[in-house]
Amino acid sequence: MDAGSSLKILIADDNKSDRMILSAIVKKMGHEVCEAADGLEAVAQFKQALPDIILLDVIMPNMDGQAAALEIKSLAGEDMIPIIFLTSLQDANELAKCLDSGGDDFLTKPYNKIILQAKINAFSRMRKMHHILQRQRDLIRENNEYMVHEQEVAKAVYDNVTHAGCLHLPNLKYLLSPFSVFNGDVLLAARKPSGSMHILLGDFTGHGLPAAIGAMPLAEIFYGMTAKGFAMEDILREINIKLKNILPIGYFCCVCMVNLSFRKEEIEVWMGGLPDFYLYRYDDKRIDKVVSTHLPLGVLSSQAFDGNTQKYSFRKNDKLYMWSDGIVESRNDQGDLFGEERLQDIFNNNVDDTVLFDEIVKTVNEFTGERGKDDDTTLLEVRMVEESEVGEVSIDLSSGMVSGPMDWNMRYTLRGDTLKTFNPMPLMLSILSDVPYLKGFSGQLYTLMAELFSNAFEHGVLALNSGLKQDAKGFAEYYSQREIAIKELKEGTVSFEFDHKPIPGGGRLMIMVTDSGKGFDYKCRQDKNFVNQGYSGRGIPLILSICDNLEYVGNGNQVRVDLSWTAD
Amino acid sequence: MSHLNLGQINELKDLMEDAFEDLINTYVEDSDEKIALLQSAINNKDRHKVAEISHSLKGSSANICAEFLSGLFKQVEDQARAENLTNIEQPFALAQDEYQQVRGELHKLSS
Repeated sequence: MDAGSSLKILIADDNKSDRMILSAIVKKMGHEVCEAADGLEAVAQFKQALPDIILLDVIMPNMDGQAAALEIKSLAGEDMIPIIFLTSLQDANELAKCLDSGGDDFLTKPYNKIILQAKINAFSRMRKMHHILQRQRDLIRENNEYMVHEQEVAKAVYDNVTHAGCLHLPNLKYLLSPFSVFNGDVLLAARKPSGSMHILLGDFTGHGLPAAIGAMPLAEIFYGMTAKGFAMEDILREINIKLKNILPIGYFCCVCMVNLSFRKEEIEVWMGGLPDFYLYRYDDKRIDKVVSTHLPLGVLSSQAFDGNTQKYSFRKNDKLYMWSDGIVESRNDQGDLFGEERLQDIFNNNVDDTVLFDEIVKTVNEFTGERGKDDDTTLLEVRMVEESEVGEVSIDLSSGMVSGPMDWNMRYTLRGDTLKTFNPMPLMLSILSDVPYLKGFSGQLYTLMAELFSNAFEHGVLALNSGLKQDAKGFAEYYSQREIAIKELKEGTVSFEFDHKPIPGGGRLMIMVTDSGKGFDYKCRQDKNFVNQGYSGRGIPLILSICDNLEYVGNGNQVRVDLSWTAD
Repeated sequence: MSHLNLGQINELKDLMEDAFEDLINTYVEDSDEKIALLQSAINNKDRHKVAEISHSLKGSSANICAEFLSGLFKQVEDQARAENLTNIEQPFALAQDEYQQVRGELHKLSS
């Protein structure tokens, strides 16, 4: 007997002396006994005492053992209540009937103690196993319910992040499983403040939550930065570093991002790790392939990341077909791959390009048959239309600053030793770069401010003569004078004033630089429009090529430039 | 020769301990009653009842280690099930005699 496993055993027998003997045997084994004198009592005792095992006489008044067994088995439901029939029946058919009515075994009279004990122990083990199985089954069911619930919550969160998208626009057709995010597929589209459209198709390695987990920050960055007018390269760089930081080694995301410009009639494509996309040319029904030229996102460090894009003309009714590897890698019942060739045939055999998308979906579904139910296919058709067809960009103010700080003024003054030693460029450039559009011009802005600063400092504060820089010898002389002047400088200031204001479709930046010098006679030069006079033109023509307008004010110790921009 | 299987009945005595006397009394009371019922069932030619009662007596007698008696009740049961009560008197008479012997031995054992 299993140590410590005391059971409650119901003995149902109409013969009292038999019941007494059996009861004595069972109690000797260490089990608890309850008794019934007929079938009806047995059923009632079963409900009340909840025994673990039942010893049931076959022939009893009121309700016989077989009827009681049927009743008890149906009451027990999925619990396992072993029933051992007590019988002096010898007829094989009668014994078989006992088992058919739900009995699990029988014991013949006169009772043999050893056999009864062995049977009780065997059923006790079986019951335990049954309990373990039930518990495990329930646990699996609970875990599964829990997982499904978690996935639903995760999907709801993800949908909240992605609902901002513009996949519904009439120039886009797409196929996307409702739970695609758990296949690792991501499809995002959003309008930029300029009216262009950003589209991103991503395919994370793996399945389930590990695949879905990276989709949240990816979508968040994509929508947030697109709405603020950031360029594709900045967005991709940000996503790349985010994924690189959060995803474990070996997890990454194959991505294609497209910037569709309705006005320029072109698409700009960055593609890392996805199968070739097809660019359908409306005019001559030609297919251009767009191929991946980068590694997937989340692989390279920010330094190694390459944000170079390829540009393609994209005229009215040209179409770009984007897909995850689900199409080419789908299989039919025989296990054959769909393959590139079948995909190409769809395009080659197409007569009416307006149904191309449906033809692809239909062909793939027919190929995969029942297997296609795994829903692992993401497909997108992007068609070039007039911008009016996709409507104006509705600017969602709830997402915060739409295009960075637009309306602001700042003054920054450098004095004394700081003026001599500190390079204010990175700081000022960083402030200007908060305006997303200006960030794209940080190189030119740097040149502009560097020129203005050195003019103010060297010609204004230090009062060096720019005329010296006419030849190489003068240059050397100029720099030695500069060194001395810096050493001797007791006081002086250079201040920058920045003023940025929004204008329709963009912004206007004013930079005013004031130095503490005496100024200079700028009037005659201003008339000649600052024609470059050798090296000594204070870099003015360079500045003019960048901004709209430059003017000296006051004594010439103040210079003002204006630069206006409109977002594309 | 004993009418009981002595090896078995001693085992049963060990098993039942103090309840042995109670068991014997229960068996005897039960059997007295059932034999009377069996007699009237035979008189009434109620085959079904005859089979049921003799089946019960067969089982309880076997359990009380009265093997020969159990065998006689089995003959009564078999006759009844064979739809034939004409030859039932003889085995029933033998069973009643045997029962009296068993009863006497059991009382000796329990006292």
